[in-house]
Amino acid sequence: MSGIIAGYLPLFDLYLIHVGLAFSQYIVLRAGVFSLATAAFAGIGAYTAGIFAVNLGLHPAIGLLAGTLTGMGAAIFLSIPLARLRGVYQAIATVAFIQICLSLNVYSESLTGGAMGLNNIPKTVGTGTLFVFAALATYMIWAIERGRLGRAFNAIRQDEAVAASLGISITRHQMLAFAISGALAGLFGGLEAYHAYALDPNQFGFHLLITILSYVILGGRNTVLGPLVGCAILIILPELARPLAENRMVIYGVMLIVVINYVPKGIVDTALDAIRARRLKMREETVS
Amino acid sequence: MSTLKLTNLSKRFGGVVASEDVNIEVPAGKVIGLIGPNGAGKTTIVNMITGLLPVTSGTIHVGNADITHAPAHEICRAGLARTFQNIRLLGEATVLENVMIGFHRHETSSTFAALLGLPEAGRETATLKERAFSLLGEFDLQAFADYPASGLSYGHQRKVEMARAMASEPDFVLLDEPIAGMNDVESNALAEIFMGLASSGKGVLLIEHNVRFVAKLCSYIYVLDGGKLISEGTSDHVLNDPEVISAYLGDAHHA
Repeated sequence: MSGIIAGYLPLFDLYLIHVGLAFSQYIVLRAGVFSLATAAFAGIGAYTAGIFAVNLGLHPAIGLLAGTLTGMGAAIFLSIPLARLRGVYQAIATVAFIQICLSLNVYSESLTGGAMGLNNIPKTVGTGTLFVFAALATYMIWAIERGRLGRAFNAIRQDEAVAASLGISITRHQMLAFAISGALAGLFGGLEAYHAYALDPNQFGFHLLITILSYVILGGRNTVLGPLVGCAILIILPELARPLAENRMVIYGVMLIVVINYVPKGIVDTALDAIRARRLKMREETVS
Repeated sequence: MSTLKLTNLSKRFGGVVASEDVNIEVPAGKVIGLIGPNGAGKTTIVNMITGLLPVTSGTIHVGNADITHAPAHEICRAGLARTFQNIRLLGEATVLENVMIGFHRHETSSTFAALLGLPEAGRETATLKERAFSLLGEFDLQAFADYPASGLSYGHQRKVEMARAMASEPDFVLLDEPIAGMNDVESNALAEIFMGLASSGKGVLLIEHNVRFVAKLCSYIYVLDGGKLISEGTSDHVLNDPEVISAYLGDAHHA
């Protein structure tokens, strides 16, 4: 029995790290920013944490803090030019940002190990630590959602003119969403570095972007449950269909096409909408 | 008493003059009308006041505060709320949530508390929920509180938008064609709400092209055509002004 659980532990670890990254993607979409830069922030955080441990030999806690802060710093920096763009242009700009980070990473070989990657990172993070951070991230997203910030993000996403006319500063809130996104990505990138022994620059490229985006689109963009469920489905599914595990990206692609066509709001959001509508209908029936 | 005051307000889009030297005063406690045929530049003026369009020249003051070049979100904080010509509710949100967002200007919990979900933030959400619900009561909308806003009838959506504007507790309210597409019963109900706003001390600027409705409600009316004020005064004066009649009905000589 314990053997079976141990066999699935790496998968669970992957889930916990990717949940954090999914939340990083979720929070910017929530605030109406079509940024896809999470993969880049995760890379920045991971390499910062890795370099702190390998080159400087510092304690992992300091490395993680540094990863979080550099991820956040990069996000705040990027939010300044992005505030002038909207929609698909933001998406294009952030994809470009990912490529820039990737290239810089490969060129600065003395610092990051270049194309060879960063190796021999001491493994200091296990399932327990990952679980604690994933739980904290989930809690924070949940807290944001039900308070002042969640309301402001919702208004901005749905109609910027309305949000501004009600006194909501769009620039300030979108920058804040970016900062949270960058910090989360940096933190979970750092965790990945201390969990995986080695980092490869291509790990934080286009492939990761698509993976993270799929979690949020599949699960749902408007509740904290969305990324949790989306991430679970997309990580478990290829394992259940082991013969197809080689073609993970094909499965992702097919699922995305199906979801976008039939449940465009994502699985959790669609289910919640249905439950809400049913509750209202039942109430109407008891009244009449 | 504070006043919303537009002084020599002008807007040019390249060579096109959308408004030229417009002077309007909205004192607190009064309903002031701004009328004009389609394309007269009414919405341009609203958008300049609310900071959605940059002003070419002239000034806008709320009381002593100059808001001519303030960004849109600061104008709300100066005490100005608006409704939109095409109703703009947050479609995914419920009626109650739509009104809650209107309280944004008065939210006090810190960003830190909101991030960490401290009790302070939770209490604020609970209070706002109650306040939003009681505000819905004033508009007879409590029964719809949990419904998605986009599913309501036109008249009800308009009232939700009004309630949202009221939630920010403004000193001045701009109503951009609030009764367009409404029947007489619905528009009369809104007329009462507007009078109530004025008697509670708020200044109301009513932008409409339904002349009858404006004449009934407003103590003072401005008439706009081709971006310029062509007449102003009481409803009797304005409606008998030959220039106003020709702007609305066309010039008799060309008929």
